[in-house]
Amino acid sequence: MKRERKCFWYFTMFIFLVSGLGLGLSGEEDTFALKGALVHPVTSASIEGATILVKKGKIVALGKDISLPEGIRVVDVRGKEIIPGLVDPHSHIGVFAANDANELPQPIGPENRALDALHLDLPDWMEAVKGGVTTVVTGPGSGERMGGQSVTIKTFGKDLEKRILKESGELKMAVNGVNLSHIPTIQANFLKAREYLKKWERYEAEADKASPPERDLSLEALAKVLKGEEVLRVHVIWANDIISFLKMKDEFGFELQFIHAPEAWKVAEEIAKRKVGVICMPIILSINLPEDLLKGIVTLQRSGVKIAMHSDYPVAPEKWFRLNASLAIRYGLEKEEALKAITINPAEMAKVDTRVGSIEVGKDADLVVLNGPWYEISSTVEKVFVDGILAYDSLREEER
Amino acid sequence: MKKTRKLEDKEKKKGTLKGIAILFVVATFVPSLLEPGESLLAIKGGKILTMAGRVYEDGSLIIKKGKIWKVGKAISIPKGARIVDAQGKYVMPGIIDSMCYFGVRPFSLNSSEPVTPENRIVDAYYVFGELMRGPGGIQAEEELLCGGVTTVYIAPGSAQLIGGQGAVLKTFGRDYESLILRESASIDMTLAYAPLAESGMPSSNPPSRMSSMALLRKSLLEAQDYLKKIEEYEKMSEDEKKKSQKPSRDLGKEALASLLERKIPARIEADFVDDILAAIRLADEFKLDLVIDSGIGAYKVREILAKKKIPVVLGPPSHPIDYVSHLNNLIELQQLESERNASLLLDAGVKISISSQAKDFGGSGKATQGRWLLLEAALATGFGLSEEEALKAVTINAAQILGVADRVGSLEPGKDADVVILDGHPLRVETHVEKVFIDGCLSYEREKEE
Repeated sequence: MKRERKCFWYFTMFIFLVSGLGLGLSGEEDTFALKGALVHPVTSASIEGATILVKKGKIVALGKDISLPEGIRVVDVRGKEIIPGLVDPHSHIGVFAANDANELPQPIGPENRALDALHLDLPDWMEAVKGGVTTVVTGPGSGERMGGQSVTIKTFGKDLEKRILKESGELKMAVNGVNLSHIPTIQANFLKAREYLKKWERYEAEADKASPPERDLSLEALAKVLKGEEVLRVHVIWANDIISFLKMKDEFGFELQFIHAPEAWKVAEEIAKRKVGVICMPIILSINLPEDLLKGIVTLQRSGVKIAMHSDYPVAPEKWFRLNASLAIRYGLEKEEALKAITINPAEMAKVDTRVGSIEVGKDADLVVLNGPWYEISSTVEKVFVDGILAYDSLREEER
Repeated sequence: MKKTRKLEDKEKKKGTLKGIAILFVVATFVPSLLEPGESLLAIKGGKILTMAGRVYEDGSLIIKKGKIWKVGKAISIPKGARIVDAQGKYVMPGIIDSMCYFGVRPFSLNSSEPVTPENRIVDAYYVFGELMRGPGGIQAEEELLCGGVTTVYIAPGSAQLIGGQGAVLKTFGRDYESLILRESASIDMTLAYAPLAESGMPSSNPPSRMSSMALLRKSLLEAQDYLKKIEEYEKMSEDEKKKSQKPSRDLGKEALASLLERKIPARIEADFVDDILAAIRLADEFKLDLVIDSGIGAYKVREILAKKKIPVVLGPPSHPIDYVSHLNNLIELQQLESERNASLLLDAGVKISISSQAKDFGGSGKATQGRWLLLEAALATGFGLSEEEALKAVTINAAQILGVADRVGSLEPGKDADVVILDGHPLRVETHVEKVFIDGCLSYEREKEE
């Protein structure tokens, strides 16, 4: 009897310990509040001394006077600034590690998926988190004319399935402004894809579904772009390539965005007219653009073009993605616009703005706590929450 | 309409710049870029950060014939001096980029042999603009002067074990000669992964760390013998000299001999701890003055570096690792990397400077450029470095490591008048350099915003 009781006691202790450990390890807490910081929600005005209430990984309340449920944990963040988890719309994180990013002998490969080459066991992801980057669009390199499909993913989380926001959604292309064959090759492929799409539409309309057309992964990927299910993103340097693609957009009607595009400001009005987004310079301190070109982003933004910044990792470290906006401010962009360019704008371009990109009730609790003005180079990231989980805490960081 | 006018203005500005640059190239007899009467210049009213321990609020700085004459708070401005109003501005010494490849075209950086101490980077220093195109003033302005950089250290590339001799140069001057601070400032070496992994000449370099070190030691031993032979000959009486053969000169050994004589230091690029320790072992064996370049993992051996008084020229904090060329070492390097490298080294007592390591002349290089060096220093302040130490890392400390602190690096009487005027605190992202003086000459002036 005595022994039995002892066993029972041990058993309860064990259960208690395990559950406690589980909670502690995952860092998951159902509900908590961040109180006292200067919060920049991006989609609404900044609030001094605000409270953000997080429940089950989502933001459930935001404001100055929020009544908090009793007994919940309150994190004191007075004197800090909070911005949404940053969204890097163009990176090769996890894809470049084993040199999987380019298929150099195969210039046309829209069927290739970054998802299939995603290396998740890399220190790179934690580096991204440390810099406050919580969502990335990572994809193929620019070695091919049609590199393939990118994946939109959170930088932190145990469950890969949950991390992925979009398995594809973006088709990556690249042209160099010099080779005359690039544009007609891409155009010819779209023409083929259009026929392919028609073939399938005819088949779908038929009553008799006996003989379906043969599937072609490459044309299928392009057809998705034609149907508007995926966005076409093009790596461009020269302004003439931008015009060529704008004309192609006029012809095929797809949704288009440009990447890098240091010359986009030269044709800003043409771009604005067609509501094409530009993921643009400055790539932080990496590309030696003259000061004039760096000022081009201001021209772009003032012409009404939606702009976003990018790391193009490994070209620039993912960790310093935030500094893109700092540099943009240095070269004349307003602070609010610069913050948009690393949060809500890239989220909208990647069509994940219902979940990330701003601090709003209902959105994922991806939050970055900084120890000073968010745009200042000397400010550092102190805490990063991804889906309400504390993914990084500089105070806990061991000194290496 | 407005845009065209702006373009015209720009053209005009470029025109004058070209004028200055042409002067710079052809000036053989131009007495000075200074207007007559400007040999006396007073910068008045700014917050002067001397980088020599003093800060003067509302101070004045007087320049006489290209040198700093007086600096302080209540200084009477001599008659006839041209006055530059710096009210509300910051005034500091010219920024020093202690490691970059400015003005050196990529194909000039490396040779096909692993050991070429005779090569001098100064022979590849091309400051004459684009080949068979315009002059070089604009390039210097866009890449360095607009960030306040007045002095650079350039060196052969890192694809060789011993690349050759680095040089310390100014970024603007009346003539070619006035650009050169130290023609031969170091012997530049690289250890381990870089010589093996960088493209170009993998076959001629030693295949392992062991054979790299053996080849370095062998080269230095040969230089020791050479030096001994020369010294023995020099000691001979005139008669003996006539009888014996004068040792023939060997440019490579001569260069290494100046290393052994400690006229110049060995600058060894090393990131991994084993390579840094190997460099220290080499310096101990041959009693060399050593400077560690890049030093991503230097914080791990900071006590040793401090004890042996070995300084470290760090790369840019924003890009400690050259991601694209070191894909094979990326994870290893990332595990080594620490944002606190600078502050950990400094706290242990190691002298550090922060450099851009910018490659390429106008193209896309490894990372940052000299013009953003202050921003790099600002980044380090987020990770434990004080603002003063961050500024010292791109001014006086850099000058000391480069062996030119008698001329540049701080605002002290007698030093070269390399002065930068900024419109705000030098470490804030929105601050811009407004004026740069080199040897007392106005070398850069920022375009006014509309």
